[in-house]
Amino acid sequence: MSRFFTTGSDSESESSLSGEELVTKPVGGNYGKQPLLLSEDEEDTKRVVRSAKDKRFEELTNLIRTIRNAMKIRDVTKCLEEFELLGKAYGKAKSIVDKEGVPRFYIRILADLEDYLNELWEDKEGKKKMNKNNAKALSTLRQKIRKYNRDFESHITSYKQNPEQSADEDAEKNEEDSEGSSDEDEDEDGVSAATFLKKKSEAPSGESRKFLKKMDDEDEDSEDSEDDEDWDTGSTSSDSDSEEEEGKQTALASRFLKKAPTTDEDKKAAEKKREDKAKKKHDRKSKRLDEEEEDNEGGEWERVRGGVPLVKEKPKMFAKGTEITHAVVIKKLNEILQARGKKGTDRAAQIELLQLLVQIAAENNLGEGVIVKIKFNIIASLYDYNPNLATYMKPEMWGKCLDCINELMDILFANPNIFVGENILEESENLHNADQPLRVRGCILTLVERMDEEFTKIMQNTDPHSQEYVEHLKDEAQVCAIIERVQRYLEEKGTTEEVCRIYLLRILHTYYKFDYKAHQRQLTPPEGSSKSEQDQAENEGEDSAVLMERLCKYIYAKDRTDRIRTCAILCHIYHHALHSRWYQARDLMLMSHLQDNIQHADPPVQILYNRTMVQLGICAFRQGLTKDAHNALLDIQSSGRAKELLGQGLLLRSLQERNQEQEKVERRRQVPFHLHINLELLECVYLVSAMLLEIPYMAAHESDARRRMISKQFHHQLRVGERQPLLGPPESMREHVVAASKAMKMGDWKTCHSFIINEKMNGKVWDLFPEADKVRTMLVRKIQEESLRTYLFTYSSVYDSISMETLSDMFELDLPTVHSIISKMIINEELMASLDQPTQTVVMHRTEPTAQQNLALQLAEKLGSLVENNERVFDHKQGTYGGYFRDQKDGYRKNEGYMRRGGYRQQQFQTAY
Amino acid sequence: MASRKEGTGSTATSSSSTAGAAGKGKGKGGSGDSAVKQVQIDGLMEMMRSLRHVNIDHLHVGWYQSTYYGSFVTRALLDSQFSYQHAIEESVVLIYDPIKTAQGSLSLKAYRLTPKLMEVCKEKDFSPEALKKANITFEYMFEEVPIVIKNSHLINVLMWELEKKSAVADKHELLSLASSNHLGKNLQLLMDRVDEMSQDIVKYNTYMRNTSKQQQQKHQYQQRRQQENMQRQSRGEPPLPEEDLSKLFKPPQPPARMDSLLIAGQINTYCQNIKEFTAQNLGKLFMAQALQEYNN
Repeated sequence: MSRFFTTGSDSESESSLSGEELVTKPVGGNYGKQPLLLSEDEEDTKRVVRSAKDKRFEELTNLIRTIRNAMKIRDVTKCLEEFELLGKAYGKAKSIVDKEGVPRFYIRILADLEDYLNELWEDKEGKKKMNKNNAKALSTLRQKIRKYNRDFESHITSYKQNPEQSADEDAEKNEEDSEGSSDEDEDEDGVSAATFLKKKSEAPSGESRKFLKKMDDEDEDSEDSEDDEDWDTGSTSSDSDSEEEEGKQTALASRFLKKAPTTDEDKKAAEKKREDKAKKKHDRKSKRLDEEEEDNEGGEWERVRGGVPLVKEKPKMFAKGTEITHAVVIKKLNEILQARGKKGTDRAAQIELLQLLVQIAAENNLGEGVIVKIKFNIIASLYDYNPNLATYMKPEMWGKCLDCINELMDILFANPNIFVGENILEESENLHNADQPLRVRGCILTLVERMDEEFTKIMQNTDPHSQEYVEHLKDEAQVCAIIERVQRYLEEKGTTEEVCRIYLLRILHTYYKFDYKAHQRQLTPPEGSSKSEQDQAENEGEDSAVLMERLCKYIYAKDRTDRIRTCAILCHIYHHALHSRWYQARDLMLMSHLQDNIQHADPPVQILYNRTMVQLGICAFRQGLTKDAHNALLDIQSSGRAKELLGQGLLLRSLQERNQEQEKVERRRQVPFHLHINLELLECVYLVSAMLLEIPYMAAHESDARRRMISKQFHHQLRVGERQPLLGPPESMREHVVAASKAMKMGDWKTCHSFIINEKMNGKVWDLFPEADKVRTMLVRKIQEESLRTYLFTYSSVYDSISMETLSDMFELDLPTVHSIISKMIINEELMASLDQPTQTVVMHRTEPTAQQNLALQLAEKLGSLVENNERVFDHKQGTYGGYFRDQKDGYRKNEGYMRRGGYRQQQFQTAY
Repeated sequence: MASRKEGTGSTATSSSSTAGAAGKGKGKGGSGDSAVKQVQIDGLMEMMRSLRHVNIDHLHVGWYQSTYYGSFVTRALLDSQFSYQHAIEESVVLIYDPIKTAQGSLSLKAYRLTPKLMEVCKEKDFSPEALKKANITFEYMFEEVPIVIKNSHLINVLMWELEKKSAVADKHELLSLASSNHLGKNLQLLMDRVDEMSQDIVKYNTYMRNTSKQQQQKHQYQQRRQQENMQRQSRGEPPLPEEDLSKLFKPPQPPARMDSLLIAGQINTYCQNIKEFTAQNLGKLFMAQALQEYNN
């Protein structure tokens, strides 16, 4: 109803019949809008000015509309509620009202409401029928409105006296009357609605139909969009109304058309209208299609508009016959860009629009500068397409993005006179002056970095075990190619910082890949022929080790941000470790002192550090350096959170501990699957190296009370193995290691060997190494050696002497090795024995204490600590230690040293209790 | 401990017809979980029923428990024996050590709780103060009852018969010189107990420290309160209301001392065992030495 009213007021304002109503919103909107359609800036400012007043008035009109609806269905309770709200809203709008005078529609609702209430009040029959709530609400509302209207008395009387001039208002009035009468004489709402509908649709819809016919094709899109919006609140459609480029009359008509259903709430009527419209639309569409073919440029633009208000205005810019110049295109571009990030902007349409702009620019030979500029923006909008940071690009978007960057690079390479940089100001851009070098604002490096991020995101969000992942992974080559191109470009033109950044990007895409070519080359030593030399020279550029060396060294030398250097170092170490260059990797790690301050780095760098450490450990293991391997892996493995520390997955356990936000952040940190380090391999390497260290150690310190565990995790696994009631043949990798450990404990290296290296373990672990056979040989050798040591530790007490030859037979080691191992043990005082050279035997000294002696020693120690503890209890009782001594002086002095304590014990027990 | 599972607790009944005060174990099941206990009680009841059935005059005088290297001084034993002794004044527990017996010396001992301990157990108060008041130590927890084994003549005859048939080696197991790891096992068990004892003492120690610390705090608080009240008095204001100090300072939970008492008792048993064993072994060694010298 307010719609009728506003349109009414519109006409009124033209005829300037009532001054009060000049200010209603659509008036201002429509009025200001029409001439301004071409320039968005002005429109924007206009909008701001409107808002304060309009917002208030709109609020009021909305409330009034609901009140009228409630009146119609005789819902007095609702009326009361809304009336109260209305009063509040009016209070808010007070300042504006003071300025502009009381709006007429407000007075009207007050007057009408009062009349309506009086009618109801007098209708005794109806009142009886009313339910309790309504009756109660009626009386309160009546009183309230009486009180309230006193303030507006003058306005109301003037309103009542003043006959309504506008036809619309009359219609409204009529409707009101009919409404009132129907309320009075009939309970059936349907009838009243029908009459109402009849009346209303006579005038407006007839009118609108007339208009509709007149409407041309260009209007159709907007019509459609508004059609949809019909069922929304009036506010949004009124916005789009205002932007309509048709004449005021059309706007009026369409508004009529659309608002009628909303106001009278009658679905039937609306539906009827919609059907009408649909029919018409269909007709028009077919007509339009024909027209479109004729209309080449304009038609094209029409299609793009896609119902977005902003887009709709575009065609005006490139109206037929407009000469397309730089200035025009740039202005257009800016317009499009201004819509960026605004609510309700169709991002997909925007991208398409930009692409068309590029086409146009290309068609009109506007020069590379403009195209570069637009391309930058296309890529940026592609990145913007996802408003959410967590979601990833759709594949088609991603493909577009890659293509776009490639094209951009093509242009940049083809035109060395184009300068690109983010430090070039918008104003100092030179897009078309061909004499001077072209200058374009925009940073290719940022785009590529963003692209890399998007790529990571895509990989993170794809199921790693699907074909899709493989498909995505194929893009990696493309990504690398782009990075390489950008690198080449920046090497020529970029600053050192930029070069460092792009180098790091390159490194990040290189470090984790095993260089099979270089590996092959290493395996087949050069034969000296000229051909292979040539090959080598060719391959030199591809050798990732050389590449890494070059890139990293540049970064070490030139980088000034700590982070890039840290990352580069870590990647370098990782790369070394991956290619089994253990000493280089270790030295680099130690020299960089990263271990000391890595805890201050940000999580992604820490993850990289963890990955590097793990790779380092695995590398050490491959070299047979079990101790180093164990040390490197200890930190990661002992926490039991290897998965989390390496960024390869979230632990379920800690799920409850973090909230959703944290989880999202953590998810973003995850390393894509193709970079993962095999966790089982990692654990196996760790456990096997722990086994090789721990078992001989355990054997050597069997009865030592103070022995420490080297690896807690390994012990844990052993305990788990022991706890099993029934031991079947080992299944998992852990069980294999545990079973092997048990065999090793007995010095049975053959069984141990068969547990560690067999089909299952090969498939699970060992075949994952690039040089699997080498690793296996190393492992066998290690097992033999450590088993020998274990054997000697465990069973030396049984032997008086043992021949080294026997030992070498038993462990299938050659004599010098056995000799060296035993010598080492003797020197380290691990084995109390001496070598008898002529007979090649080991003679045991048997100086080790027996089991019982050991036990006695342990017991003595324990008793010592027990007594100490007990004395401390006494301290408390006696206050000070000294006092206690004084008390016990006589009995105490006689005894000495440990004996004294032992003898003393009994006494203490008694006194302590 | 694994030994507990082996231990079969059952009844010892003394009846006029079965000779001697010490009956034979007749039940099944061991102490420990309730299900087993149920079985034990069922067995006991059945036995009683059967005895009544054949009209034998009988008296329920206790139960027996087998043990492993003398580790029987446990909470479970204490509780069971307490309930027996509480119900039947003259109940005893028979401790039977099969390992020791296998080595040649019959190890069968009867124990009762001392009246002091009975009182403490009745109170169910094992706080340090209560135990101190009761003046109870591990030495006075159990009292050993001398055992006299009386067999019927028929059994005696059978024994004689068997002795004649058995080989010489069986008879002189007692003289075996090998310690068969007995000492080591005992030492290990002793060590475990000592460890427990240590922990217990540390616990007690912290308790003591906490109490004394709290006492200090309490004292300080009281002093402050007093001073404040003095000041208030001088200013003519009413003194602050007395607050419940026990609410403000909750005394720390005192650790139950019964466990440490039991551990101490157990340690004592182990020590005794070891002493006995080493004495015997030393004797044997001297004997062997002398024998060798004599032979040479």
